[in-house]
Amino acid sequence: MAVVTDQVTVTVDGRTVTVPKGTLILDAAKKLGIEIPIFCSHPKMDPVAVCRMCLVEVEKMPKLQPACAVYVSDGMVIRTRTDQVHKYQNGLLEFLLTNHPLDCPICDKGGECPLQDQTYAYGPGASRYDFPKKHFDKAVPLSDKILLDRERCVLCWRCTRFSAEISGERELALIQRGKETVIGTFDDQPARSEYQGNWTEICPVGALTSRQYRFSSRPWDLDRTATICPGCSMGCNIHADARNNRVGRFQSRENLAVDDGWLCDYGRFSFPNFQRDGIERPRVRRDGRLVEVTYAEAIAAAAQGLSRIGPALAGWASPAATNEELFLFRRLFREVLQSPHLDHRPARSPAAPAADPEDMTLPIADLERCDYVIVLGGQGVIDAAPVLHLRLLKSERRGVHVLKVDHLSAGLEGVPAEAQAVGILAVGARKDEAVDLQGRLAGKVKGSVRRLIVGDGPNGRGAQDLGILPDRGSGYAALSGPAGRPRLGWEAAGILGVYLFEASPLHAFDASGEEREWLARLDTVVLQRSRPSPLDEVAHVILPGRTFTEKDGTVTNLEGRVQLIRAAVDAAAVRDDWRILQDLAQALGAEWHYGVVEDVFADLARAMPQYQRALLGERVLWSEAP
Amino acid sequence: MGLKPLLTKDFGREGLAHLQGYEVAGGYTGLKKALKEITPDDLIEMVKKSGLRGRGGAGFPTGNKWGFLPKGVYPRYLVCNADESEPGCFKDRYLIEESPHQVLEGILIAAYAIGCNLAFIYIRGEYLPQAEALEAAIEEARQAGYLGRNVLGSGFDVDVILHRGAGAYICGEETALLTSLEGYRGEPRLKPPFPAVKGLYAKPTVVNNVETLANLPHIVNHGPDWFAAMGTPTGKGTRLWCMSGHVNRPGNYELEMGTPIRELIFEHGGGIWKGRKLKAFQPGGASMMVLLPEHLDVGLDFDAIAKAGSMAGAGAMMVMDETTCIVDVARRLVKFFEHESCGKCTPCREGTYWMANLFDRIEFGEGKPGDPDLLLDMGYNIDGRSFCPLGDASTWFPRSVIKYFRDEFEQHISEKGCPFKKEREAVA
Repeated sequence: MAVVTDQVTVTVDGRTVTVPKGTLILDAAKKLGIEIPIFCSHPKMDPVAVCRMCLVEVEKMPKLQPACAVYVSDGMVIRTRTDQVHKYQNGLLEFLLTNHPLDCPICDKGGECPLQDQTYAYGPGASRYDFPKKHFDKAVPLSDKILLDRERCVLCWRCTRFSAEISGERELALIQRGKETVIGTFDDQPARSEYQGNWTEICPVGALTSRQYRFSSRPWDLDRTATICPGCSMGCNIHADARNNRVGRFQSRENLAVDDGWLCDYGRFSFPNFQRDGIERPRVRRDGRLVEVTYAEAIAAAAQGLSRIGPALAGWASPAATNEELFLFRRLFREVLQSPHLDHRPARSPAAPAADPEDMTLPIADLERCDYVIVLGGQGVIDAAPVLHLRLLKSERRGVHVLKVDHLSAGLEGVPAEAQAVGILAVGARKDEAVDLQGRLAGKVKGSVRRLIVGDGPNGRGAQDLGILPDRGSGYAALSGPAGRPRLGWEAAGILGVYLFEASPLHAFDASGEEREWLARLDTVVLQRSRPSPLDEVAHVILPGRTFTEKDGTVTNLEGRVQLIRAAVDAAAVRDDWRILQDLAQALGAEWHYGVVEDVFADLARAMPQYQRALLGERVLWSEAP
Repeated sequence: MGLKPLLTKDFGREGLAHLQGYEVAGGYTGLKKALKEITPDDLIEMVKKSGLRGRGGAGFPTGNKWGFLPKGVYPRYLVCNADESEPGCFKDRYLIEESPHQVLEGILIAAYAIGCNLAFIYIRGEYLPQAEALEAAIEEARQAGYLGRNVLGSGFDVDVILHRGAGAYICGEETALLTSLEGYRGEPRLKPPFPAVKGLYAKPTVVNNVETLANLPHIVNHGPDWFAAMGTPTGKGTRLWCMSGHVNRPGNYELEMGTPIRELIFEHGGGIWKGRKLKAFQPGGASMMVLLPEHLDVGLDFDAIAKAGSMAGAGAMMVMDETTCIVDVARRLVKFFEHESCGKCTPCREGTYWMANLFDRIEFGEGKPGDPDLLLDMGYNIDGRSFCPLGDASTWFPRSVIKYFRDEFEQHISEKGCPFKKEREAVA
């Protein structure tokens, strides 16, 4: 993109504003706080000017001009509030509503619908259209996730443009023409995109709705909580919208540095995994049977079992636990129980090479500023963090060469020596290859070569930073004592008891058959988890904790960005996970006295200065010495 | 003034549709002369000087259009717009049927002038025999060395690809044509960028009408001054008028620019059929505003017709006698636009649909007293607000007939039906 240096001054409704050349009338007006109504225009898509809602007067131009598609020029005089514009806006909304069913009372969008809002603000009170409305198909299933109401559709092209420009899949298209035009998929085949939920958010009417959320709430009945998606290590920012203390949906909460305003369907539709069906009490196994007890009794039983075993104890914490929980988990093992056998790695890559700060020298947003990006493992990387695909496609549209390769050699050959900035993306299991490739490319190209390793879970990065690893301390420090054994080596090491902290069903321990048989033979299995788990059968003590949507804390995404999660629903009857860990430490004789979760973070930041320096929402910069 | 066969001079001559016959009639001398004696830049100047204006509808000066191509950007494309789909127009078809080589020669001259090595002909799908005639002409010309590599030893390479449309009126609009030619849905594109800068495949592109291009061999052969000597100060040369409707001799008439409408209808067309009186006529095509007998002395020329309140458009002349129900004519035309609206923009998609509904009810006896004003108001919300001229144009004829024949609308509404239909039924 060319560097725009020229500034132009324009007048909108009598007020002047100076903006860079190449600014749309719409954005120049917005800078003055002047709203111009739109439907088709979207800041992340090319202008199409099809809905014609945004027409305004521009001096010296005979026709009204689309503010969403006309770039300002110096001295331009724009009027958005004239009689001509008002009369036209009335007429345009009247056009849009001629065949719109006006079924707002039963429409999911009602209450947060641009068509509704703009009709109130700019439209006629009543329509002069007195013919029977033209009917189209309603509730057309586009996939198992999305329904399309063709009567409500105003043909703004946002969804089809998303499908073409943002996700690149071209699954949605315009079919037929004129008044008969409808949105659909080729041959009515189910849509397969992993990004369909975004269609519902950009739809300016109730045409595209989520089947999961359908009829479950009115927007004004939702309690909105700003938090982070629990789906993967990307750390996309979300709103968790809850009604009557139940989450109804996840919506995007734009963070340009992370998600760019989009979510994948895996993450967006993952919230049922975190719904609670009733309050669960702790249980302990007595005579082979699990019996409900109080937290105090369960913690006492766990403490007793753990102290009986001593150092022959191993601990696994999910990469979905918060930094605060993981910090206490590590302290519990290293300081209280004196065991080095810590791990967080998931079943699918139980022996993945340990991370190091070099894995996140490439921030997500910088992918757009590379000239070559090598995706080592291709779709495997996308599957691990689906929203990365959208960033990569955006980068490609801006001229970045994105090479999806299966083997290191193809990546090495694909990048010419004159490359200025090269990025490498790989999943944790293939980190060693990525490091190898980085080294070789560094010797080949003129510019910089950086890598970004896609981890596991919304806080896999935090688990590594905090040293939930057998051979590293917090902050990647070398251990002072002997190294522990990784998850797969526990049986051989003669471990007699385990503490399993399954913070999310999406990032569970997922024991293999062999692991399971081994677990069943152990003296003590303590299970702290948010939802019933297959491990319940082998557990001696079950400590119910909170789900991802029920707790406060911080998580660190793949690029090392520390972000807040906030409880979207109240689960006061269930003990907070960090409190369970503190209670257990106290039962084992430790003097921990954290009052609130923020106290834990403060302590964490004292122990690990990089986190102290990273203001919340910023990346942890390991390169800067504390 | 009057009949002036220039493009149609040799029409009817034996074998004109084939290369040999065309060459016998002096064909391809223009191309030879251009390649041998005239530089591309001089050729552009020559066309500017001739005053040739586009015959597709907007009447834009052809040489100026060519001059908008950015310097040094290649490849660049020429597209011959043969998507003739304006109701009432059948001149391009006639030019192609009678003398496909004349059109092709014009294409080759234009390609040479603008430095284009690959030209396209976009022809409406319904014109199958015409497409076949052009294909045959292209093949003959290729064999004879008029197109291909190193045309007539000049060092100029050019090829021509013919593409058939799928029957959408919108594809006559130049940006929709380009979109369709690229293989997408035929829908107009945002301007700017204009086709001259970013047209076909995002390359500099000129789109010219069949008749416009067919003028070029003659301008090259006889010089720009000769051409500019014909017509009016702002409308040079001749024009083919496609006359249809209630005249005794409908057909194509090539007249010098500025010839009075009266002469076309009453002299060449033989006057109104069945001895009836003229009620109204529509110059330019289905889009254009209606004119009345009082406008008969207006000259057939871009500016004169514009001054009279209509447009010369694509050269149609639809004549209506005194028994014509003008409301019904407007109804039929609005239905055409409703059917052909591509659906891209709201005013055109919804507005034409609504207008069509209103016309139906007025014509069929269910009109309401406010309907004519509602139609006018809808025109206000469509014209100049639509994405492309299709929507704008859908309102021009209806609004003009409300202006001139409001009483007929009111009669339809108060009498709950069409007075002309009742009259016809009474006679029968």
